[in-house]
Amino acid sequence: MSTSQDKPQLIIDGKRLDGRGPGDMRRISIEANVLKNAAGSAYIEWGNNKILAAVYGPREALPKHTSDPEKAVIKCRYQMAPFSSLEDHGRTGPNRRSTEISKVIREVFENVVIREQFPGSEISIFIEVLQADGGTRAAGVTVAAVALATSGIPMIDIPYGVSVGKIGDQIVIDLNKIEDNYSDADVPIAIGARDGKILLLQMDGDMTNAEIAKGIRMAQEAGSVISKLQTDALRGPYLKISEKYDADDPSVPK
Amino acid sequence: MQKIVVPGEKLEDKPLRIDEAFTEDGKTYSTIMGMYDDVRKVLTPLEGLWYPRPGDDTVGVVQEDKFNVYIIDLNSPYRGLIFAKDCNEDLMAGDIIEAEVKELDKTKTVILARPRKLIGGKILYVRPSKIPRLLGKSNTMLRQITQLTQTSATVGLNGLVWLKGGRIDAATEAVATVQNEAHTAGLTDRIRAMLERHR
Repeated sequence: MSTSQDKPQLIIDGKRLDGRGPGDMRRISIEANVLKNAAGSAYIEWGNNKILAAVYGPREALPKHTSDPEKAVIKCRYQMAPFSSLEDHGRTGPNRRSTEISKVIREVFENVVIREQFPGSEISIFIEVLQADGGTRAAGVTVAAVALATSGIPMIDIPYGVSVGKIGDQIVIDLNKIEDNYSDADVPIAIGARDGKILLLQMDGDMTNAEIAKGIRMAQEAGSVISKLQTDALRGPYLKISEKYDADDPSVPK
Repeated sequence: MQKIVVPGEKLEDKPLRIDEAFTEDGKTYSTIMGMYDDVRKVLTPLEGLWYPRPGDDTVGVVQEDKFNVYIIDLNSPYRGLIFAKDCNEDLMAGDIIEAEVKELDKTKTVILARPRKLIGGKILYVRPSKIPRLLGKSNTMLRQITQLTQTSATVGLNGLVWLKGGRIDAATEAVATVQNEAHTAGLTDRIRAMLERHR
């Protein structure tokens, strides 16, 4: 949130700056299994966000003192590329913001991965933001969940992320960069698609209880669309190969 | 009827004990991506990891030669060990071996026995969930590949495949095709056609 005095008007005649209504999301496309050497990977284009996620492991947890003898530990690294935004993300390595986001994303996945099957090991999730336009942590959760599913690591759920916010007295969904900076509140949410449990909820700004409740309802509605895109991305490559062959006589290609 | 399921997808409205699935509130859900057969109630993994069991054949690389134990890299979250007393081969770091899982200890270290050194050849990394398809029912798929290409092959359930001799390029291509198309029907026939065409 920015407290700039020359705050731009973000909603004009009921339309947002990019022409969306308050409940409209940006266009999302997800592709699974994009990297050959990772155990699992996925790529998402969410509006102007372009994010790549890769999963390695389970493998031996190193350094040894980070390992847990009863279950796998999850290590998550969210990082913005130096060229990802107009602002300065020029220096590589963790900073205050990326450390925080890595932590909250790690906690999302600690709740969905069945970690007890891999004692003493680690599961590494890498989220690389190639191009950023607001809502990258929500998009990062969405794409990392697809990458984890492609890696074959057992999970009880596929979580999705989406952000809601408040502009004036309007509750809007899926804020972009300008809206994120100048809105009155910005709330990234991650929810499990199966059980609807809220796995991440952060708030920057002020919203009343009723506004939060409305925001969460909007996120859940959007979630059914995002989950569908996630599962389609997972099933798609398999269905594409199946379609090459005739169902009646699969021994010859069509 | 088989369908592709994703993690967290409901398989049954009643609690059933199915591999790679879990039950909650009296319903059964998948934990992985797989093909679910709702008649036979079997979930076959499309993407999955290797869970070692005693008796499994594995292929690994000797990582370290310690005083009375060899440490084996099994390309999995578990570390392999061979005690020198169970080993009648002279192993060195870097050797490729075939061995059988003897037992698992409490920390899920895989204790191997009866190692056999594999000399020459090459190693392929195959996703462990595709290995059952590469073997086929009573090893038909593997036998077909090795017979048609005159290659000797050793398949580890941990996802390492060792190939040597014969038309090794054709065999490699066949293994890659099996890996990519493991979920389709009629694969054995297509692989035979592919290998005979290139002969």
